[in-house]
Amino acid sequence: MFGKRIDFAGAAGFVAFMAVLPLVFGGNYLIGVLTVSVIYGIWAVSWDFMSGLTGRENFGHSLFIGVGAYTAGFLNTKFGFSGWWSLPASMIAATVFALIIGLPTLRLRGPYFALAMLSGAVIMQRLMLIFWEQTGGEEGINGIEPLIHSQLGFYYFALATLVVTTALLLALARSHWGLILRAIRGDEATCQAAGINVTYYKIASLVISAAFAGAGGALYAHYQLQVSPQLFAVVTSITIITMVYVGGMASIYGPVGGAILLVLLTELLRDFGEWRLMVYSCTLILILFFLPNGLIAPTWRRVKAKLGRPQ
Amino acid sequence: MSALLEVSGLNKHFGGLQAVRDVSFSIEPGEIVGILGPNGAGKTTLYNLLTGFIPFDSGSVVFKGRNLRGLAPYRIAGLGISRTFQLCRPFIGMSVLENAVVGGLGAQGIDRSDLDQRALALLDQVGLGGKALLPVETLSYGDQRRLEIARALAAKPALLLLDEPFAGLGSGEINDLSALIRSVHAEQGLTVMLIEHKLHEFMRLVDRVIALDFGEMIAEGTPEDIVRHPAVIEAYIGRGDEQAEEQTDAA
Repeated sequence: MFGKRIDFAGAAGFVAFMAVLPLVFGGNYLIGVLTVSVIYGIWAVSWDFMSGLTGRENFGHSLFIGVGAYTAGFLNTKFGFSGWWSLPASMIAATVFALIIGLPTLRLRGPYFALAMLSGAVIMQRLMLIFWEQTGGEEGINGIEPLIHSQLGFYYFALATLVVTTALLLALARSHWGLILRAIRGDEATCQAAGINVTYYKIASLVISAAFAGAGGALYAHYQLQVSPQLFAVVTSITIITMVYVGGMASIYGPVGGAILLVLLTELLRDFGEWRLMVYSCTLILILFFLPNGLIAPTWRRVKAKLGRPQ
Repeated sequence: MSALLEVSGLNKHFGGLQAVRDVSFSIEPGEIVGILGPNGAGKTTLYNLLTGFIPFDSGSVVFKGRNLRGLAPYRIAGLGISRTFQLCRPFIGMSVLENAVVGGLGAQGIDRSDLDQRALALLDQVGLGGKALLPVETLSYGDQRRLEIARALAAKPALLLLDEPFAGLGSGEINDLSALIRSVHAEQGLTVMLIEHKLHEFMRLVDRVIALDFGEMIAEGTPEDIVRHPAVIEAYIGRGDEQAEEQTDAA
């Protein structure tokens, strides 16, 4: 009970910090960086829910992000739907793609799912170029309307989406449902011997993961006001996985911190110019070498243990 | 009373090897039945056929009047057949209690509102009450075996299949574990099948023995009858030198 109260206080403190940050320092540049970091947070949390809990690594999360973003772009620019339809529509579109890839590959053990996700994302990126007359090719779709005209307002909306996503997925992960996903990571045969339909749970968790990634993609489309095939890039998926590792795999809340930390680090290192990627990579390697369980979630657990101990 | 499990004419071959040949038997509710046989006799394969982990070629398995042919393992488990594995397969990365709770999450038609309390009670019963919150990786091999049984019991099964529950245990642990099996059998009227090599414990525990060799049933009867059965002596115990064989088995 006490632990739960500390968790809640920690979460409230974090949200308050993120909300006040742009008010204190101001500037559209900072708001922009924070908006991107919050959207990456949604992607990292949704990746962790499926892959972190079940241990089935998804190397193509960008597939769902791209599908969500293009859905938003098409609906908004070609069909004239208001931007508010983008979120539910992109969640549904990403869900459809999750079923197309998950249904055949998650029945199998082995690397099929990871490879199918990776190639799915690469294929989608190529398709956007091949069907350039519809998709705008390399240029993508431009002229997407903003959801909220004030940049600060949109940032708060994205932050709220991140909070809702994390709260929902965390509640699910800590329920019996999440326990089953973690058990699948442990041993599929024992799960079956316990009467658990392993395939169903893996596909359902992928669908949930995809839906939130798609929603994040739609947010990104309405932030950039354009979408391009670059959204499907493998490097995006890898960045998200790195954020989850830094945050603490399977903790759900850790990847939020991982995402914000890495996006901010990328920006802070702009001063290093050409050395930036080198410094960034070395920092990551050091973090993962000394803290193989990640940085954010284990640190929070230690803080909690200290606070929880009677004085 | 109709049989809980009715197996008839069961066959399975892997390539040229006939792993199970024309096996037929039935299990009455409340029995403890042992499956006896030398290594490679097809005992674990038989379990895999009964629980759907491996599909059988021909024959039938009827549980509570329902034909199990073609059902996925999780469906069969959901109907009330729980099994343990010869090699312990705990869910790594989870606590002992969480491991036991998962055991009760798949069964059909059981009340899950008090699952956490029930899992705790089961851990107490198998002697792991004090270790409920430890990571499962820290358990000794004997404790992992107890946990396997607690996990299997969390599903409230009608039939429990134990695959060499005593393998790798010391004699003290074996006594505890067989007392546990006896007590769940007595308290809950649970029907139990068990595969075992440790003849001594096994013979004291079971009501009836089914002996297999090279995939075929060679004898069926009370433990006293089975140890004197010529086919069993020839196949398993070997030239009547029971003591010597038991020694090598234990080794």
